[in-house]
Amino acid sequence: MTEPRNPGMSSVPQSNPSHTESSSQAVEMDPVEYTLRKRLPRKLPKRRNDVYVNMKTDFRAQLARCQKLLDGGGHREICVHGLGLAINRAINIALQLQASSQGALQLAANTSTVELIDDLEPEDPDEAGEPMTRTRNNSAIHIKVFYPDPQ
Amino acid sequence: MSAAKAKRREKKMRNQPANVQYPSPPQVESRAENGGGGEGLHLTGGQSDADPSSKKEGSAPVRHGWVRGYHKDGGGYNTEMPNHITAGAFARARAAEVSAMLKAATKTTCSSHVFQVLPKHMRRRAMSHNTKRLPRRLRDVANRMKEKNLLAGLKKRKEPVKSKSRKARRRHGNLLLEFNRRQRKNIWLETHIWHAKRFHMVKKWGYCLGVRPTYKCYRPCYRAMSSHCLLQDLSYYCCIELKGEEDKLLAALTQLTCKEAGPTFSAAMFLSGARQGSVTVYRAGRYPSDPLGPVTFLWRPQTPGLTHRQLWIWAHPALKQDLLPELQSACQCSEAVAPPVEPEVSRAEADPTPRAEPNPDNELKAGAKRKRRCKDGSEPPAKRILGDGTRLPTSPVTWRSSSTGLVINDLTMEIIRYRLIGPQSHSVLAETLEAATVCDELKFSPLWWPEHCKDQSNMNLHQQQTDVFNVLKGIYSTGELPPGTVLGLTVDDPRLTLPRQKVKAVPCVNQDPVGDEEKRNQLMLQGVPLQCCQSFLWERSVRDNVTDNKISEQELNRMRSELLVPGSRLGPGPQQGRVPVLLVHQPGKQVGDELGSWGAGWDLLLPKGWGMAFWVPLVYREVRVSGLHMSLKHSQNKAAPHFPHDYPDCPAGSRFQEEQEAEFLDTFRRRPPAKRTNYIKHGCLAPFRCPWQQLAEEWELLVTDGGADRKGGVQTQMTRKSHEVIEEVTSQQNVAAASPPSCFTVLRNRRSLRLLSSWCRPPTCRGQRRGRGAAAALPLSDSAVTSFHATHKMSVVWVRLTLLSKGKPEAHAMVCAPTAEDLKLFGKSPENCGPQEPPHKDHYKSRINRKKKSFKTATPSQESDDPTASTDPHSPSDLLQGLWPDPLPSVVSHCSRVTLGWVTQGDFSLAVGRGEALGFVSVSGLLHTLLKQPPELRGTLLLRNPTSLHYRFVRLNIDV
Repeated sequence: MTEPRNPGMSSVPQSNPSHTESSSQAVEMDPVEYTLRKRLPRKLPKRRNDVYVNMKTDFRAQLARCQKLLDGGGHREICVHGLGLAINRAINIALQLQASSQGALQLAANTSTVELIDDLEPEDPDEAGEPMTRTRNNSAIHIKVFYPDPQ
Repeated sequence: MSAAKAKRREKKMRNQPANVQYPSPPQVESRAENGGGGEGLHLTGGQSDADPSSKKEGSAPVRHGWVRGYHKDGGGYNTEMPNHITAGAFARARAAEVSAMLKAATKTTCSSHVFQVLPKHMRRRAMSHNTKRLPRRLRDVANRMKEKNLLAGLKKRKEPVKSKSRKARRRHGNLLLEFNRRQRKNIWLETHIWHAKRFHMVKKWGYCLGVRPTYKCYRPCYRAMSSHCLLQDLSYYCCIELKGEEDKLLAALTQLTCKEAGPTFSAAMFLSGARQGSVTVYRAGRYPSDPLGPVTFLWRPQTPGLTHRQLWIWAHPALKQDLLPELQSACQCSEAVAPPVEPEVSRAEADPTPRAEPNPDNELKAGAKRKRRCKDGSEPPAKRILGDGTRLPTSPVTWRSSSTGLVINDLTMEIIRYRLIGPQSHSVLAETLEAATVCDELKFSPLWWPEHCKDQSNMNLHQQQTDVFNVLKGIYSTGELPPGTVLGLTVDDPRLTLPRQKVKAVPCVNQDPVGDEEKRNQLMLQGVPLQCCQSFLWERSVRDNVTDNKISEQELNRMRSELLVPGSRLGPGPQQGRVPVLLVHQPGKQVGDELGSWGAGWDLLLPKGWGMAFWVPLVYREVRVSGLHMSLKHSQNKAAPHFPHDYPDCPAGSRFQEEQEAEFLDTFRRRPPAKRTNYIKHGCLAPFRCPWQQLAEEWELLVTDGGADRKGGVQTQMTRKSHEVIEEVTSQQNVAAASPPSCFTVLRNRRSLRLLSSWCRPPTCRGQRRGRGAAAALPLSDSAVTSFHATHKMSVVWVRLTLLSKGKPEAHAMVCAPTAEDLKLFGKSPENCGPQEPPHKDHYKSRINRKKKSFKTATPSQESDDPTASTDPHSPSDLLQGLWPDPLPSVVSHCSRVTLGWVTQGDFSLAVGRGEALGFVSVSGLLHTLLKQPPELRGTLLLRNPTSLHYRFVRLNIDV
């Protein structure tokens, strides 16, 4: 059932920006055969100091949210997560936070791979039979932004 | 003024004896011979009462009676006297006059109260309460009046006294009888009483349904949908069961659908029974015209060794009356089968349960049933109606075909359907439902579950289903599941695990063993294994058994009170019911780029009778409950058409449109004329309905005629052209009334929609690169458009419009094509608010005024002739100020921007954070517009609300 990752799909822009917000889009793989629908990435429970970055919300708003968590929220550390296209933005946010703190903040970045699931719906259902699913991998980044302990 | 006077006079005359009359000119002669006396004397009789008609008399040529002021001709008495008097006749006449006078004098002339006889300065407070405050001469009358009032009041009060006391009325049995009486016309859902206490109820489609809660909860409901769980009772959806051999069923059903519009009944993934499908049904063989409406359907998974299949079709009640005859004719099921005896059991008028009769020894064991039996013996049965209460017990619900062997069953109200919307809906389900505990009792039992437990294969299946359900608990959000998954399950009575307080259901993802991770991934990839989709809910006998053997709430409470440790949980014993349920996953938003899987959730199908037993435990998991209003918003956020609002080509949809128009017109009429919107001035031809047929026809004419000079592409040319065409149209409409015109259709062909969708996007945007299949193959060009247009004549297409600036679209807003100048302005600054429509002139206003004026001048003359007939101020007029009278002029070119279509639903979308509108546009018009737009601004249109002159820029999306 599960197909290996199609190299042709790498050109498809990744619009699953984060765990929290993502989009499934109708994509033409092979217009006659299948319709591709992306399922949501797996969600995990979220702490208060977890920030999932997406591409839909304004950058400044997300930055301000992180800043607020660090300043007023009473958190010594926050975690900024980004998936796919949003990795860039997550890094950006973390660097901005560090720059605006005049060196008080430190960063620790981890990367990971997230397994995503696509549904392939046959266009002509009578012939093609069962709908197919396949998994593909996508990169994610988790940046810990924290005040180092004084000692 | 004079009308009132005439009325007063009439009233006075009513009290007069027949032989005494007030003088009025035409009656002079008759009185002369009647009384035999002088007219002058007569007149004095008349004058004894203050003559109200004296003023009028003054204007009459012959004067009688007193005349106010000095008059030249003497005015007063007639000097001519009779020569002789007949004494008897004269005396009789005078006696009659005297008695009339006395009668008139004793009678109070004024209408209602004694107090009103008194001049204002003599009136006192609370005179009616204490008659001693009146002058003595009026006291008697007042006392008499008071007594009379008291008596009348008593009489009035007596009538309701006839019904029983409140205590008696609220007694359980009587209350149920009353409830049964009240649901004879409109079906009540099982949760009706719960809803009626909390919701605004409305009678629609033969049901009593909740529209929205009485408390304010629009935003909380939205939040529940997008982050927690929203609950809805969808039991009013009608289920139609089809049974028969698979190929025969499919052969019958393929007539109703078409593969071009998406997967049909025969699609492999649905046919196996692992997924729920949805499809638009057409009249047999009539695709693409004559659609009936959307249905969802579910096949029963094949049981090994059986060729018969079972199919449930769920349809909206507004659709059922069209769908059922169509299905019958398609399956050739015309023989109505007399309803079996079993369904009668649940009716109110049915006698004590026949099921209980054969095994009285079991009956005696369970306390509940014994009690019920005694009750049945002593008092008339007052059972709550389960199922369809409006149907006659003798009306058939089953139809059979003798040639093909297919059977159609109408299962309306037999199965309860609850919809849970939101990412946490399955954690709510996981907390509420608990897989049934096995009960290994060897004795014979009337319940179905112990019997089933004896069979090992059943137990294996149950174990598998339980495992899958437990794995599901580890999933955080409903949107992660394969869309349309079906899971059968048998659960314990959820009332046993009812929490004492409301608790919020939260997902428990953390404490997963490693093995579950594997299983979960397997489940997510391949879906629920096929055998787990089987459920005993499909079996009628099991359903009836479960319904009949439900433990009453009272009995349950008694058992709770008998627990050794008060407050501890009741364990699931052997006599408690196990309920077969079906869980059906509802995919959320599947089309379009944004908000994927928004609004995904689960549907819970239950046997009838168990509605409240599941409803309250669900509500105790802190879900929000909503009604019809929110289901509309749900589909709006999903950008899906909502039945019957957005199906104007279906019979139910057009009926709905008519109702909606009547309703809007009524609210419009109820406003004072000066406060009504003048839609003519706003250039809005049809503010309360959308004339789709006219739109499609006009665009058809425009495109076929304007095909030659389309290259010119100048808007003004176009509008001029359209004006000419319109005259043609209107003239043609009169001619073509006799011949049946081809109806407009809604474009549902998936391939064409996809092509159209790619054309609507600017080529630089992501979508175009992505959809390199169709769009790359066929770029937007004249020839492509012509061929597309040739295949889809007279069609409209469902679109989603997102506002680019501020503004909130409303229903029936116009979708217009921007001119080249507008687009230029837009290109300079995308935040530009958009052009203005010059105000139109209301030519009908003067006509209405003229009419009114002429009406006014006409009235006094009428009045003088006939005072009674002239009081009606409303003359039948079809002109209503501010609305265009029928027939409408050209809808396309009425305004300065060409109209492409209308919005059927529009609101500020909380999901997107902007105004969003859904509606239809004409395909021909859309293509025509797209061709002329510069490629980078393709798909930019204008939207104008019916009450505004301001056009706003919108982006058009066609989601496939």
